Amino acid sequence: MKRVLRPYAPATASAWLLVVASATAASADPPQPLPADEAILGRPSDAFHVESVTTRITSFDQNGHGYQSQSGPVLGPGSERTNVLEPQLEILASQGDRLKHRFWVPVDVVSAASPDAIDRTPASADVVSSASRRNIAGQIDWAATYVADAVTGVTMNSGVHLEEPFRSWHAGLGATRSFADGDTVVSGDVSSFFDWFDRFDITGHRHGRADRSTDTASLGITQILTATTVVNVNYGLTLQRGELGNTWNSVPLTTMERGPELLPDERLRHALVFRASQFLPWDGALRLYYRFYADDWGLVGHAAEGELMQRLSPHVYIGALYRFYTQTGVDFFATLANPNAALRTADSDLAPLDSHTVGGKVVVDLPVSPSLRAIHIEVGYERYFRTNDLQMNIMTCETGYRF
Amino acid sequence: MSSRGCALVLLAASATGCATIPQNRRAHLADPMMGVTGEPLDAARRQKLYDTREGAAGGDGAAAGGGCGCQ
Repeated sequence: MKRVLRPYAPATASAWLLVVASATAASADPPQPLPADEAILGRPSDAFHVESVTTRITSFDQNGHGYQSQSGPVLGPGSERTNVLEPQLEILASQGDRLKHRFWVPVDVVSAASPDAIDRTPASADVVSSASRRNIAGQIDWAATYVADAVTGVTMNSGVHLEEPFRSWHAGLGATRSFADGDTVVSGDVSSFFDWFDRFDITGHRHGRADRSTDTASLGITQILTATTVVNVNYGLTLQRGELGNTWNSVPLTTMERGPELLPDERLRHALVFRASQFLPWDGALRLYYRFYADDWGLVGHAAEGELMQRLSPHVYIGALYRFYTQTGVDFFATLANPNAALRTADSDLAPLDSHTVGGKVVVDLPVSPSLRAIHIEVGYERYFRTNDLQMNIMTCETGYRF
Repeated sequence: MSSRGCALVLLAASATGCATIPQNRRAHLADPMMGVTGEPLDAARRQKLYDTREGAAGGDGAAAGGGCGCQ
């Protein structure tokens, strides 16, 4: 959990006024002990209380070509045309003053070259022909945070991912501790994923099951530097083992035919992330992000991002985003591979590439009533494009209810 | 920037970090625009985009794997 601790403004202000008023009235009397928080605010209820419900729907419209795709000439590149519709639901709830819950349900509806229709008579469909079928994937994720004391929180999360040829389970444990009156927050977490999926060959025929595990550990620190500046640094390590490809990617060979992708069965990934947010004097904010990545497949990546936001009124702000990313590609990437190579991939995601993202958004938070504190609306558009022939238009819309 | 310059910047940042900011001066930090990680659902869809279209997933608390067999 990497959130900055924020002041609990309405309740704190009310309590402060009450304390000041009672202290003033009693100034002539002998000092009295201050009333406890519960005497002022009332005893917090242990009942389950929904704090917010948020939905977001995002549309990804992708065009491009990659040498791993068979939707094109034998030696490629083939089409990577796809459409993805991604609804998400998030519910935040509290249970007393020590327990917080987060339920998150993302769904992907993919219309593209997918394994959805393969291994059915008359046989091999999507992987060797056109992008046609529809594939639906869903996930349920539950995180519970126990607030041990004013400065310590422990979060446990677990979830399951369901997709037609694919199952995944995950669990994680994290902790945060704040220091210096909340100026510094240190966080650490570990998580483990287990994926279990059908194995296909490049002609679309099924060959039993494959699996992989993914274990991650990360450590981060968030620091308030000034009344307008906050920074965060995070380092993480991920170890993956098992079948690390999707099993149906193909590689053009020097023999003028296609062969299967051959990948190592282990991958160790490192990532170091730096984030900063700076409030600007004209009621705006600048959010900066840099990420360094390296793994033992030889891929080194750098991502840099800046997002400038401007508040137009107490309830409306707008934002503009630019992100640049560059990567070296893995050591065994080839668009025309030797058939005797021990390792090979033509996956365009693992190639040397640069990518750019530009976008903007409008965010509105409308106050409603004491019981429905605000309605949150966000609409955004982004354009993503890579130097190795991939482009995407992204539309996103979020609606939230804050109780 | 030289290594001495980097050290000076780090030292200045560390020294600033030692001064506690009073709660009543943190109003700007509570503004939704100031979240270092952004809105959770927006961050999730962005991360999924980059994880599945680039080769650098995982490592920073967001695990690679766990969906669609393409990471």
